[in-house]
Amino acid sequence: MSKFRLYLEENNRSPVKQLWREFKRQHSAMTGLVLFISFFVISLLAPFITPHDPYLQVDELLLLPPSWSAAGLVQYPFGTDDLGRDLLSRMIKGTSYTFGFALITVTGALLMGLLLGALAGMSKGVKSSVFNHVLDLALTIPSLLLAIIIVAITGPGLMNTTWAIMLALLPQFVHGIRNAIDEELKQDYVIAYRLDGANDWDVFSRLILPNIWEKLTIMVTMGISTAILDIAALGFLGFGAQAPLSEWGAMISDSLDLIYLAPSSVAIPGLLIFSAVLSVNLVGDGLKTAILKRRQS
Amino acid sequence: MSRYLLRRLYLMAFVFLALSLFAFSLGYLFPGDVIQNLSGLRQIDDEQRQQLINYYQLDQNYLQQYLAFLSRIAQGNWGLSFASQQPLLQEIKLLLPATLELTAYALLLSFILGIPLGIVAAFKPHSLIGKSISALAIAGYSLPIFWWGLLLIMLFSLALGWLPSAGRLGVLYEIPHSSGFMLVDILQADVKYRSEAFHNALRHLLLPTIVLATFPTTVMIRFVRDAMLNVWEQNYIKTAQAKGLSRGQVLYRHGLRNALLPVIRQIGLQFSTLITLAMLTEVIFSWPGIGRWLIDSIYQRNYPAIQAGLLVISTMVITINMLTEILHALFNPLARRG
Repeated sequence: MSKFRLYLEENNRSPVKQLWREFKRQHSAMTGLVLFISFFVISLLAPFITPHDPYLQVDELLLLPPSWSAAGLVQYPFGTDDLGRDLLSRMIKGTSYTFGFALITVTGALLMGLLLGALAGMSKGVKSSVFNHVLDLALTIPSLLLAIIIVAITGPGLMNTTWAIMLALLPQFVHGIRNAIDEELKQDYVIAYRLDGANDWDVFSRLILPNIWEKLTIMVTMGISTAILDIAALGFLGFGAQAPLSEWGAMISDSLDLIYLAPSSVAIPGLLIFSAVLSVNLVGDGLKTAILKRRQS
Repeated sequence: MSRYLLRRLYLMAFVFLALSLFAFSLGYLFPGDVIQNLSGLRQIDDEQRQQLINYYQLDQNYLQQYLAFLSRIAQGNWGLSFASQQPLLQEIKLLLPATLELTAYALLLSFILGIPLGIVAAFKPHSLIGKSISALAIAGYSLPIFWWGLLLIMLFSLALGWLPSAGRLGVLYEIPHSSGFMLVDILQADVKYRSEAFHNALRHLLLPTIVLATFPTTVMIRFVRDAMLNVWEQNYIKTAQAKGLSRGQVLYRHGLRNALLPVIRQIGLQFSTLITLAMLTEVIFSWPGIGRWLIDSIYQRNYPAIQAGLLVISTMVITINMLTEILHALFNPLARRG
């Protein structure tokens, strides 16, 4: 319902600008965005900014406590692990494993999902009905279970985990994209465009894509948070990144047996996973609100 | 309605067909010897091998093998576990109630907490209470569950020593196994220490349930809150208000009924996530359920067990999904068309 406006003002700013205006009004979303960008930058620059070699084992400095305790060293802000490796460097390196690989996973799933979702959404009849049934099956199997089964077939490792999670995320992407396309195809302007002689590709590229990208971004943020949690969970279970890779979930399970001696080595990687997922979720929520408000105005 | 039911049943039959095909192909996809993967036997001599090839009809074409697989599943002949050399179906029957018990309590807790909190958050979205509930929900939504479980163990079991950190029941108590659901078993058991055992079982349940319930509760809060806010914008709410109903009446008669309808469907959608999270929770709290068993099976390369676990868990998830969809359609005539 449009509101009564006293002055007739033209509001012709581009959708992206309008969205950004609504987005930056929300403090929590902006905080999330800043966190997200910093995680992104760290994951890109990780090899250059680690203060120490994350795999270098210093024999003299085993299980050094964090620098805020009296026995800590200022060169090792988070201390070292039981092999004398610097925890801060390992965590920075871990950003590219947990966070970076989550981004790669979601990008891959998005591209595949866009292709399959477009095929499913644009096709009709038996083809689409068979496809939908297969999707329904894939959606009912929990994503982590699917990932675990794929890892059981292919064997553990970070690369296999990435593929597994990509495949496990795919059904929900395809489902979401297909529904979005279905909704778009019902619009009157699509029919008008078709009457003008547009073929399927024209409709898809000119009408559907520009209208579903907002839904896509929300799907992507949800996908990233799932991917981070799944990569970390698989790493924690020992199916994902293998030692000595410093993936955050694997780091937690590595330091589990030291939980009495060095509780911070369990607490800090978990806190990182938590804040990475939180930043993604905050951005996702902010986007959702911004889109809603943009549509209303 | 009957047409809707027929369509659903047809869909379910198709999904089960596809699932059985997938499970069937797993026996061939897993690394190692196909006969070993199918039977679960570790040592097979030549004579036995010939027998097994006949039994599994491996010399026939794939269609025959698939039909043989289906009839084996229907007869309850699921093969042996690599690790224990016990029949898989028996093992699963012992383990499944533990998982179901934990999941059921977590789901219940998520409803008891999630729905009222969601309504409160929607009622005053800009007040301090509403905002803090939303903040709490998004924080809980982002928690990695294994870390959250470890934190609670560190605090309540290691530092404070209030609650046990592992298992379903203290080793002091012995409860005869009847239904597999610990609380029910204790209540039925004819032992002197019944109330102590019950108390002990509850203490064991508390931490895993809280950990497992965290994610669904936050999802529920967010879902109910969004649904309430959405319904509150509708025109029939304005009509009801204009007719002079009090706020409580509008909320109860028009708001809640419409906002809580999709929640039924949410149970089905939540259930599959819940099972996944239950696997992690069981690993952390050494809960003897099917999730921990499945993950142990992967460590041990126990392929027959992985296959059986997949079948059981997926069947459970699909059935619950379908039931909630049908329930939803029963309550909401508009959903029957789809």
